[in-house]
Amino acid sequence: MMAIRELKVCLLGDTGVGKSSIVCRFVQDHFDHNISPTIGASFMTKTVACGNELHKFLIWDTAGQERFHSLAPMYYRGSAAAVIVYDITKQDSFYTLKKWVKELKEHGPENIVMAIAGNKCDLSDIREVPLKDAKEYAESIGAIVVETSAKNAINIEELFQGISRQIPPLDPHENGNNGGIKVLNSSMPGTRPCC
Amino acid sequence: MCSPEEAALLRLEEVFSATLARTNSLVLQPLLTAAEPSDPQGRECLRLLQQLHWSSQQLWEVTEESLHSLQERLCHPDSVRLESLLLLRGADRVLQVYMEYIESYTSCMVVQAFQKAAKRRSGYWRVQRKVLRQLLWGMSSEGSVGTALVEVLCQPLTYHVQQYVFLLLSLSDTIGEHHPTRELVVHTTTLFGDLQSFMRQALDQAVATQALWHTLSSRPRDVLCIPARRLLQDSQDVPVTVTPLRAERVLLFDDALVLLQGHNVHTFDLKLVWVDPRQDGCTFHLLTPEEEFSFCSKDPQGKVVWQRKVTEAVCQVLRGKKDFPVLGAGLEPSETPTCRCAAYTFRAEGRLCQATYEGQWCRGRPHGKGALKWPDGRNHVGNFCQGLEHGFGIRLVPRASEDKFDCYKCHWWEGSMSGYGICENGTDEVYKGYFQAGLRHGFGVLESTPQAPQPCKYTGHWERGQRSGYGIEEDSDRGERYIGMWQADQRHGPGVMVTQAGVCYQGTFQADKMVGPGILLSEDDSLYEGTFTRDLTLVGKGKVTFPIGFTLEGSFGSGAGGGLHTQGVLDTAALPPDPSSTRKRQLGLGVFPVESRWQGIYGPFWAFVHAGCPGELQEALLGFHVQSSRALRKSQEYLCCERTHPEDSACRMEDILEELLQHREREALQQCLRKALSNPLHPLGKLLRTLMLTFQATYAGVGANKHLQGLAQEEVKQHARELWAAYRGLLRVALQRKGQAPEEDEDAETRDLQVHGLVLPLMLPSFYSELFTLYLLLHEREDGLYSQGIAHLSLFPDTKLLEFLDVQKHLWPLKDLKLTTNQRCSLVRDNCFLSATECLQRIITTVDPREKLEVLERTYGEIEATVSRVLGQEHKLPMDDLLPLLIYVVSRARIQHLGAEIHLIRDLMDPIHTGGLYDFLLTALESCYEHIQKEDMRLHRLPSRWNSRAPW
Repeated sequence: MMAIRELKVCLLGDTGVGKSSIVCRFVQDHFDHNISPTIGASFMTKTVACGNELHKFLIWDTAGQERFHSLAPMYYRGSAAAVIVYDITKQDSFYTLKKWVKELKEHGPENIVMAIAGNKCDLSDIREVPLKDAKEYAESIGAIVVETSAKNAINIEELFQGISRQIPPLDPHENGNNGGIKVLNSSMPGTRPCC
Repeated sequence: MCSPEEAALLRLEEVFSATLARTNSLVLQPLLTAAEPSDPQGRECLRLLQQLHWSSQQLWEVTEESLHSLQERLCHPDSVRLESLLLLRGADRVLQVYMEYIESYTSCMVVQAFQKAAKRRSGYWRVQRKVLRQLLWGMSSEGSVGTALVEVLCQPLTYHVQQYVFLLLSLSDTIGEHHPTRELVVHTTTLFGDLQSFMRQALDQAVATQALWHTLSSRPRDVLCIPARRLLQDSQDVPVTVTPLRAERVLLFDDALVLLQGHNVHTFDLKLVWVDPRQDGCTFHLLTPEEEFSFCSKDPQGKVVWQRKVTEAVCQVLRGKKDFPVLGAGLEPSETPTCRCAAYTFRAEGRLCQATYEGQWCRGRPHGKGALKWPDGRNHVGNFCQGLEHGFGIRLVPRASEDKFDCYKCHWWEGSMSGYGICENGTDEVYKGYFQAGLRHGFGVLESTPQAPQPCKYTGHWERGQRSGYGIEEDSDRGERYIGMWQADQRHGPGVMVTQAGVCYQGTFQADKMVGPGILLSEDDSLYEGTFTRDLTLVGKGKVTFPIGFTLEGSFGSGAGGGLHTQGVLDTAALPPDPSSTRKRQLGLGVFPVESRWQGIYGPFWAFVHAGCPGELQEALLGFHVQSSRALRKSQEYLCCERTHPEDSACRMEDILEELLQHREREALQQCLRKALSNPLHPLGKLLRTLMLTFQATYAGVGANKHLQGLAQEEVKQHARELWAAYRGLLRVALQRKGQAPEEDEDAETRDLQVHGLVLPLMLPSFYSELFTLYLLLHEREDGLYSQGIAHLSLFPDTKLLEFLDVQKHLWPLKDLKLTTNQRCSLVRDNCFLSATECLQRIITTVDPREKLEVLERTYGEIEATVSRVLGQEHKLPMDDLLPLLIYVVSRARIQHLGAEIHLIRDLMDPIHTGGLYDFLLTALESCYEHIQKEDMRLHRLPSRWNSRAPW
C-alpha cells in the first residue's frame, strides 16, 4: 500500500480570474477513486500518484474580493502549497498576485510551495500580461509558473504535478507507522491569528 | 389389659411422690427457714437451696402427673392406651426436670450448702436426726447431719430412676415384639438409662470439684469457686506441663481452663480456646486470643486424655448446654470449631490493651465482622482479618474536648486505612478520598463543613497525610483560589492564583511564599512581569505592559506614604500588544503537565485493574454509599454499616466486565459506555464523577477566569484519552478472565478516533458548562463586537442585506420574497435562506463538536440547495459567491457567543480533520465571524456608502 499524504492547497487570486474553474477542471476531468466530500466548488479533494506516494490535495478556495483579503490568513495557514491565479488578460490581477506573494512570504507558512497560474491562455490575443514577465517574476521568487486554460484544459494537470514534485519527500524515519501519513500542520498549532 | 409392670410403676410413683413430699416438709423447708444469713457466701447458699427447692417442687409435680396418667390407664385399660403414659409420651420433659434437679443439687453440694445450712441450725438438726434416719436406708449413726442431708436429697432419686429403668425393661419384654408401642418403650428405657449415666457423671464431677476446693489455698479458691463450675480434669491426676507459661497445676473446668502459677491464677475462657489440630508426639497446642501454649505430657496416653478433654469441654461450652448423657457424647473425635462468636477484653500491653472485641473469631484472632471498643471511647465496627481491621470499617475517635468525634468510614488493610474513605473531623471538616497506611494519600478532598469557623477546601493530591503534588485550594474568606503544586502541606513549586476580583497571577512558591519573578494579570488586562508578593505588592524589578501598549520597566517598591513607588522607563512608543499576549494570556500552560495532573485519580483505578479487578477491592476503589452519619454519631454504642454493599447492588465486578465483553461493536459500545459513565458505582462512572469534581473545584466560581481556558481544555481532552485507556484496561481484564487473548494495541490514529468519536461526546456534557464559560470569557470582547455587527445587520431587510454583502443578484432567492413588481427594496426580513439559517441555529443544541460540525455541513448544503433552486440547475458555489451568502446566513442566525462556539469546536475537534472538510467549514464560519466584527459591518448605515477600497 502506498502512503497517502494529505496536502492542503489554497487558492488565491482576484475574483473572476477562474480560481475555482481550474480546480473544477482538475478534479472533474479525471476519475477520482476516493469519493470525496466537497462543498460546492469551494472545497475539493483529489488524489494523484507521485513517485511512490499518493498525494491527496485538499484544495481550499478563497474569496477573491478585496474586502475579504484580510480573512485570507485563516485559509492559508497550514497550507503546503498555494496556487495563485491571475488572468493573463488583466494586468490588475497580476498586481494582486504580487501582493499575495508578498503576504505569503511575510505571513504564510514556512516552505510553502507557490505555484503561479496565468489563466485564460486561450485568450492570448487580448493578453495584457506577457508570459516573460510572469516567468521572470516566478523565477525571482522561486515559484512554479504555468499558463493555463481551465476552459480548454491546458496545463491544469501539469500545474498540480509541478506542485507534487516540489513537495519535499517524507523523512524516512518519520513514517514508522502504517497506512496514511499526515504531513500537514507543520506550522499549524498555536499560531491562530486573532484579528 | 394392663401389665403387672404398669401396676408396679404406679406403686413406684406413689411411693416417690410421698417421699418427695416428706423430704420437702422435713428437710427442705427447715433448711430454707433459717434466718437470712448476713455474709455473701451464706446468701449464695440460700439462693442455691431455694433453687433446689423449686426443682424439687417441679419433680414432685411431674411425678404426680405421671402418677395420674398411670391411674387413668389402670382404671380404663381399654380406652387409655399405653403410650398416653407421661413417662412414655413426655419422657423428654420428665428427663429435663430430673436434670435440673440434679443440677441444682450438685451446685449445692459443690459449695457445701447443706453442711453450712445445717451448721447454722445445728440445734434443730440434732433433734431431727432421727427423722432423717427414717428417710434413709443404711445410714450409719456416726454420719454428720450434713452428710445425712446430702444423702437424703439424692438417694431416693437415684433409686427411683434405677427402678424406672428396671420396670421399663420388663415392660418392653412383656408387651411382645410387635406391639406398636414397643419401640417407644425401648427408647424411653434407653433415655432413663442415659439419665442414670448423666446423674452418675454429674455426681462424680461434683464430688471431684468439691474435693478440689478443699485442696486449694484460699486465694485461688476465692477466685475460682463458682457453684456451677465443675472440674473436668486436673493435672494432679494426669500430669502435664505447660510452656511457655510454667504452670504448677492445670485445671480444666467445664467453662474455663485455669493455670496456677504460684499465687497467680490464669483463667482462659473455653469459648476462646482453640486446640491446634497439629499432632506432635506427647505435645499439643492451645490457642487463645493473647497466648499460645504447648501442653506436654509424659506419655502419649496423657496427651490424648488432655487433648480430648479440652476439645470436649470447648465443644460443650460452645454448644451452650451440658452434653447428654456424658461429656463428649455425640462428638466425633474432631477438632474445636475454628470460627466462633465471642466477646473478649484484651489484657496485654499494646494497641488493643483494655479493648473489648465482640464478634467473630477464627483460631484465636478476631476475624470476620466485629466491634472493638477501647476504654478511651474509641470504637471500631467492621471487618477483621487475622486480628486486624481489614475491609470496610467505621471508627469513631472521641476528641479530647467537647462531645465530638472523628469518624472514619473507610477501607482498612491489615490494620490501617487503605483505599477510599470518608473521614469527618469533629463537625469541622470532612475528608473524602484515598488513604494509604492510615494516612491521606493519593487523591482526596478536604472540605470544611458549613458550620466550621474557617471555611476552606482543598481538592488534590496527598502524600502520607500531607498535601503534596497538584492541588486546588479555595480560600473563600480571601476570595482566592490557588491552583498548583504542594509539598509538605505548603504551596511549593509553580502555582497560579485567581481571585474574586479578577486579578490573577502565576509564580513560584516556596514554603507558602512567592519567590522569584512571576506574571500578574489585572482585570483591566494590564500585565506585570517581575517580582511581587502574595498580597500583590510589586517589589523589585519588573515590567508593566498597559492595555494601550505603553510599557513601564524599572524597579518597584512601596511608597513611603503607601501607594506604589517606581523608578523606571515609560515607553509610550510601543505598539499596542497583540491581544493574545495579555488579554488572552493563558496561565499554567506547560507548568502542570496534563498527563500527570490528576494521576492520583487514575492511580487507584490502575492499581485495581492491574490486580485483576478483585471484587473485594471494588469498594476500596469506588467508595461506598453511606447514608447520613448523623445517626452513627448519636449512637456510638452500636455502629452499623448501613451502606449499600457492592454485592447487593447491580454492580458486581463480574457483571460489569461481562457487559463490556458483550458490547464491543461501535453502537453497542457507545450505549454501554454511556451507561457506565452515568453510573457512579461503575469504575468508569466513578472516575468521571471524580474528574467532574476536580474540574468544578478548579474552574467554577472564582476559577471561571479566561486565563485558565488553556488548562481546562487540555484537561478535558486528556480526561477523554484517560477514560478510553481506562475502558481498554477493564476490557483487558475481562478478556483475561475469560482466558481470551487481549486486544491488540491500537495505533495512535485509531485511539484518537475512538477518543474523539466515542468518548469525548459522552463525557463532554459533564464538563461543558464550566468549559464553555471559560471560552465565553476568553472571547468576550470579540463576541461583543460580533453582537454589535449582528444587531446592526438585523436592521436591514433581506434584499438590502444581500446587496450590502455584495451577493450577486442572480443568486438572490427572490422567489422566497413576496415582492410587488416595483418593490425592489422590500421590508421583508428573515425570509431568504431560511432553511440554512434555521439549520445553523441548531449548532447550540449539542455539545459534541462533531455534531456541531455536522450541523455546519448541513447548513452549507442548505445554502447550495437554495441557490440551485433559484438558478433552476445544480450550482456549485465557488468561495467568491459562497462567503457573502454565508455571512448573510450567519448574521441572520444570530447565534450568541459564536466566537466561543467556534474556538471550542476547533480545540476539541478530532485532529484528523485538520486541513479537511470540517476544518474548511469551520474556517469559513470563523471568517464570517471575523468579518461581521469589522467596523464597516457594525457602523455603516447604508449600503451605498460602502467603501470598496477596504484597507488590507
